[in-house]
Amino acid sequence: MANLTIKNLHVRVDDESEHKEILKGVDLSMNSGEIHAIMGPNGTGKSTLSETIMGNPRYTVTEGDILLNGESLLDKPVDERARAGLFLGMQYPAEIMGVTNAEFMRSAINARRADDDPIPVREFIKELDKNLNLLDMNEKMAERYLNQGFSGGEKKRNEILQLLMIKPTFAILDEIDSGLDIDAMKVVAKGVNSMRGADFGSLIITHYERLLDYITPDVVHVMMGGRVVKSGDASLAAKLEDEGYTGLRDELGLDVQLTDEN
Amino acid sequence: MNKKLFTSEQELTAFSQQHHETAAMVQIRAAAFEQYAELPLPQFQKINYRTWSLFNGEPLVAAPSTLKPLTKSTATISQQGTQPAQIQLNAEAQAAGVVALDFFEAEQQFPELFAKYYMTIALAKDAHRLAAFHAAAVNSGVFVYVPAGVQLKEPLTWEFTQDTTTGQMYVHHVLLIAGEKSRFTILESRQSDDEQAISANIVEELILQAGAQVHFTSIDELKSTAYLARRAYLSANSRLDWALGLMNDSNVLDDFNVDLKGDGSHTEFKAVAISAGTQIQGVTTRVTNYGQHTEGNILQHGVILSDATLIFNGIGHIVKGARDSDAQQENRVLMLSKTARGDANPILLIDENDVRAGHAASVGRVDASQMYYLMSRGLSKDVAERLVIRGFLGSVLTEIPLAEAREKLTATIERKLIDGQKHRDRAE
Repeated sequence: MANLTIKNLHVRVDDESEHKEILKGVDLSMNSGEIHAIMGPNGTGKSTLSETIMGNPRYTVTEGDILLNGESLLDKPVDERARAGLFLGMQYPAEIMGVTNAEFMRSAINARRADDDPIPVREFIKELDKNLNLLDMNEKMAERYLNQGFSGGEKKRNEILQLLMIKPTFAILDEIDSGLDIDAMKVVAKGVNSMRGADFGSLIITHYERLLDYITPDVVHVMMGGRVVKSGDASLAAKLEDEGYTGLRDELGLDVQLTDEN
Repeated sequence: MNKKLFTSEQELTAFSQQHHETAAMVQIRAAAFEQYAELPLPQFQKINYRTWSLFNGEPLVAAPSTLKPLTKSTATISQQGTQPAQIQLNAEAQAAGVVALDFFEAEQQFPELFAKYYMTIALAKDAHRLAAFHAAAVNSGVFVYVPAGVQLKEPLTWEFTQDTTTGQMYVHHVLLIAGEKSRFTILESRQSDDEQAISANIVEELILQAGAQVHFTSIDELKSTAYLARRAYLSANSRLDWALGLMNDSNVLDDFNVDLKGDGSHTEFKAVAISAGTQIQGVTTRVTNYGQHTEGNILQHGVILSDATLIFNGIGHIVKGARDSDAQQENRVLMLSKTARGDANPILLIDENDVRAGHAASVGRVDASQMYYLMSRGLSKDVAERLVIRGFLGSVLTEIPLAEAREKLTATIERKLIDGQKHRDRAE
């Protein structure tokens, strides 16, 4: 069983556009075999958390730790974290000219294997066809340049396709449902559910409860003001849907300004 | 610049005699020899090569004593150093009357063609010091003539290797004449062995007669300090498509020129370059529209690693009277390190009103969000970088008509990038 633990994580951003502390002590622990959801209002640090776990150099950890199986990831660059078993399904995947989707995925798989033991082409193609089929994707998608000219929905599906091909231990999915219609969301959920098992865990970041109707989480965390303020089972998501974040904030007596609140 | 002459008149004459050269060639050499030291070096914008050793090695020593008999069976030319070219023509080429000869044999057999085209219209003997030096000191080369109307299915493949172990400077000439309405593909590759103290001065002249269509692919992997000129002269309605991989490991001064002389002539020039280590590659590509309804497009993409330098000059010149002509260009350079130096200079010189012209240029760095995305899937920084670069260079790769040549260039790019990255990673 693998474990991912976030301990008292404080994170800052300092660049041209922003200078501020976004995460103010996040605690969270999950094991493989579990699906956790993180919900929360806009601007509360959900994406910052996912990017920081992955190792986006834009974010600076000022305090706390991120541990994979007890080992700190903080001094590891993003590619090492990926090879250690992390995956981040991104909100805004980059577009890369001249590199086909299939070629890219094969490189990603081979990055996890010994130099003299690349995945056999036939095995790769078989796996690719199976997953394209599962995600209702045209096989031409594999030969297109990576995310180049993909629609929003195609990009999201493509993130899930990569997830299925790379088979990480922990997948963080950052608002994978944003911009998807209900059919596309079902397809994405089908992909994630197909990964479910003792060796796979997922941290699903979402703004709305709707995705969780299709991927039932074991644990739901609510983030506000840069912290996890409440955790519970799947029913917590339903409760939020009814009462909204303001309701929960008032119930907990938190002094947090919600972005969308006027 | 060292003004000491590279040889004496007596030695020059002796060299000509040894090669049974024509009186005309003896005269060309003598005139160029007298002139070259006084002629100015050619000027290329933003490329300062004055400290380069472009004249290392004695061009006229160790000359081959006899010409080897030429065998003919496939369409292949190979030439090791300044040895006579090994030339093989396949049945198709032979039946069509294609001529491919070693330089010295050709000047004897085709004196009229030499008088008309050898260092006359594509690159004049007295254009500048490097050209005159070439005319005086040329010590190897090939001549290829494809007769009018001949269409070759198979490419003409030629491979030239500079041999620096002889201590001999490499002064190599290619003269290609594409007859009227002929149509064929050339695959060239150039390389040199490891020594770097010997210079090279290479001139290729491509003469396209009316209606000829030529596709020219080359992969350059020189390791010596070199002046490399590729100069084309296009007659009416002829077309020349280029796909060049400038993958040299040394300081190279590339002087590419296309004169769109005939009405309706057209060139598509595409090149990719990689500079790594501490090398400097200066690439100047000039297309001049003389004829009416001519079209010249330049696309150059390059990548720079470590402390290397890469300069792309693109010059599109439309002369007065070249009505309804088109000159477009795009020069882009991607720098992979803070110490890399790069420049992309588009220059448009328009002396006619009824034309279309445009340019795009950029000097940039690898996109950080692309690198992050690729690395987030587990690719190492080096592999991620190579993928981004391959994408960036892809626009030229896709132009290469033959899969084999495309794969070869892809492999060469990969090899050069891996070497460059190793060099960088050691330095870090």
